[in-house]
Amino acid sequence: MKRNFPLLLVFVFGILGIIPFILPHPMVQNTDEFLRNNLLKILAAFALILGLGSLLRVHFDKIRRKGQNWEYSWVLIGTFVVTSIIGLFGGVSGTGILPTRLGSFAFDIWTIYFNIEVPLGAAMFALLSFFMASAAYRAFRARSTEATLLLASAFVVMLGVLPLGNEISPHLPSFAQWIMDVPNVAGQRGILFGVALGMLATALKIILGIERSWLGGGGE
Amino acid sequence: MKIIDLLTKIDRRIIYLILFTVVTLPIIFPSAKSVRVMPPVEKLYNAIDNVPEEKALIIDFDYDPQTLPEIEPMAFAILRHAFRKRIKVLALSLYVQPLGLAQNALVNVAEEFNNVAMTREDSIIYGRDYVFLGWQPPPLIPILGMGESIVNVYKNDYYGNRTDTLPLMKEVKNYADVGLLVSLSSGDPPKWWVEYAQNRFGIKVGAGITAVSASEFYPYLQTGQFSGLMVGMKGAAEYEEQVETELNIRVRRKASESLPSLTYAHVVIIIFIVIGNTGYVISRRTKGGRP
Repeated sequence: MKRNFPLLLVFVFGILGIIPFILPHPMVQNTDEFLRNNLLKILAAFALILGLGSLLRVHFDKIRRKGQNWEYSWVLIGTFVVTSIIGLFGGVSGTGILPTRLGSFAFDIWTIYFNIEVPLGAAMFALLSFFMASAAYRAFRARSTEATLLLASAFVVMLGVLPLGNEISPHLPSFAQWIMDVPNVAGQRGILFGVALGMLATALKIILGIERSWLGGGGE
Repeated sequence: MKIIDLLTKIDRRIIYLILFTVVTLPIIFPSAKSVRVMPPVEKLYNAIDNVPEEKALIIDFDYDPQTLPEIEPMAFAILRHAFRKRIKVLALSLYVQPLGLAQNALVNVAEEFNNVAMTREDSIIYGRDYVFLGWQPPPLIPILGMGESIVNVYKNDYYGNRTDTLPLMKEVKNYADVGLLVSLSSGDPPKWWVEYAQNRFGIKVGAGITAVSASEFYPYLQTGQFSGLMVGMKGAAEYEEQVETELNIRVRRKASESLPSLTYAHVVIIIFIVIGNTGYVISRRTKGGRP
C-alpha cells in the first residue's frame, strides 16, 4: 500500500495531464481547469513549506555535524529568519503590522531586495567575466582540426554580433547570423529531438510505474 | 623558451586588470552609437508593431538581478514601443524574484510618458493602459490557465486590486484577446510558452534572452514558433535603435551605451586567445611536434 498508492496517484494524474491535450470535450477541459486552478495551487503551497522545511533541516544537520563550511549555514538560517519576519509581518513595502522603519529608513522586503539581492546577484555574475577571460586564454587551444573550426566560428560569432564586426566588414554580422541560423540550429534540433524522445520515454516509464526510483529506497 | 613562457603564462591578475579597465572606461564615459538591426530583432519589432488595436501584449518578466543588465534594457525598449503605439500591456512574472524588476520597469516607463503627457488621454494610466498581474505559482497554472480566463488565474493584481474591476481586464479575457506574448527571460520560460500556450491555444510568442543561452532558442525562431528574438545586450541595443529611429523616442539607451564595454571585453578575450594559441603553436614546433 505504501508503494502502490503513490504509483496509482502518479498513473491517474499522469493520464489526466495528457488527456486535455487530446480531447477538447468540455467535461475533460473543466476537470483539467479545476485540477490546475485548485488542486495544483494547494499542492504548490505544500511543496513550498516542504522545500523550506527541507532547506532548514539540511543546514541544521550540517551545523550539528560540523560539516564543511558549516559556519555559512548560520548565515543562511539568520538571513532566512530575518527576511521571513520582515516579509510576513512588515509587508512587501513596509505596509504590514510590524513597524519595519527606523526614522526615514525603511527595511522592508523592497529595501532588502534592491539593496542586497540585486547588487549581490549582479556582482556574482559580473565576476564570471573575469574567470571566463582567464579560462579562455588558458584552455581555448587549437589542438585539433575540430578545435580549430570551433575557435574560428567562435571568433566570427563574437565579432559578428558586435558593432565592431559591421565596421570590419558588413558581411561579418550576416555570416555570424548564418552560423547561428544553420549549423547551430541543425545541431540544436538534433539535441532537442533526442531530449524530447528521452523525456517522453521517461514520462511513460514513470506514469506506468516501470521507473520507480523517485519513490526512494534504492528501487527496492 | 622565454618568449613561450611570456605568451603562455600571463599572470591572471594582468588579464583581470586589462579586462577591468576596458569594461570600466566606457561606463565612466558613456556614448551610444547606432547599431545595425538584424532580422530576428526586426521581426520582433514588427510583431509588436502589428499587434491589433483591440488586442493586448503580454510581457513575461522572468529575468533576475544576475541578468538584469542584459535584459532590463529590452523590457524598457518594448514598454516604450508599446506605450507609444498605445498597445494594451499585461505584465506578469512566472517567478517571484523578478517582481521588483518588473515593477521598476513598468513604473519608470509609464512615468517617462506621463511626464510629457498634456492630457489624461495622452497619459499611461494603470488599469486602463496596463496591468501588472504579478506572480502566480507554479508556472504551469498561468501559462495554461490564461488560455481560458485571465481573471480566474489572477483574481487580484500585484497591488491587490480585484482584476475583474480593472477596465483593461474587461477587454482582455483570455489568449484570444492577446496579439503577442513576449517572454523576457534568462532561462527556459520562452520554451514553455511555446510548448503549452502556443501549442494548445495558438498564441504568438516572442522572446528576449541572454546571449549565453541564445543557441538553444534559434530552432524556435527558424520554425516560426517565435515571432521574433532579441539576444543579449546587442539585441537590446538593436531594439533601442528601432525604437529611436522608427518612433522618434530619444531617451538614454542603456544597452547601446554598454556595447563599447562589451566590444572591448570581447576584443581583449580574442587577443588573449590568439596570444595563448601563438605560444602553444611555438612550443609544439620547438618540441618537434606537429602544431
